[in-house]
Amino acid sequence: MGKTSIENRIRRLRFDHGEMTQQALAERVGVTRQTINAIELGKYSPSLEVAFRIARVFGVGLEEVFSYPEDGAGAGRGG
Amino acid sequence: MSFREKSAWIILVTLIVITSAYMTHMQQPWTLAPDPSPFMFYTLVHAVILYVIVVTVAHIVIGVRAPREARAPKDERERLISLRATAVSAYVYAILSMASIFTIHFGANQFGIGYLVLLSFVVAEVVNYAVRIYYYRRG
Repeated sequence: MGKTSIENRIRRLRFDHGEMTQQALAERVGVTRQTINAIELGKYSPSLEVAFRIARVFGVGLEEVFSYPEDGAGAGRGG
Repeated sequence: MSFREKSAWIILVTLIVITSAYMTHMQQPWTLAPDPSPFMFYTLVHAVILYVIVVTVAHIVIGVRAPREARAPKDERERLISLRATAVSAYVYAILSMASIFTIHFGANQFGIGYLVLLSFVVAEVVNYAVRIYYYRRG
């Protein structure tokens, strides 16, 4: 699974939402805490569906949670 | 450590320990296996039963300690890890089992081949769970 090129602001958004725990976010998204941790650390690229669910939990758009830097194109393998 | 990683460790360690004990107990099972005897049959049956008991009890213990996690279905990352590990172990099993069959040209009898195919299966499963653990730990 390795390091992905997709960046995310999940840690920041969790902090902004009352220091929401990874476990709490995981339960609302429907994945394990380990998966949220892997996404947050950029080690796993979630499916589009899980990405949308994460954004919905925080009440923001997808691009406010995830971003793909210009110079990151093709650098990571994701998954 | 997640429930599924603990589960993978349990299966990996149990497989290695019981298979090692079993193979050590048997006399040169790969090429010089003696005629099938009740002793060989019951040793294999005992090893399988012991494996099932150890794995089941260990899973009950970790399941009781984390019941919600144990009941939860695999999420997408866990399914991906499972698929990748199975893909790798399938190659290992295919190569080793084919190699086992070729040993007939080097003097292996049918019992020796049978044991090598069994060993191939165990090695493939060890690889399967080792790969899972690798991906669980890597993130």
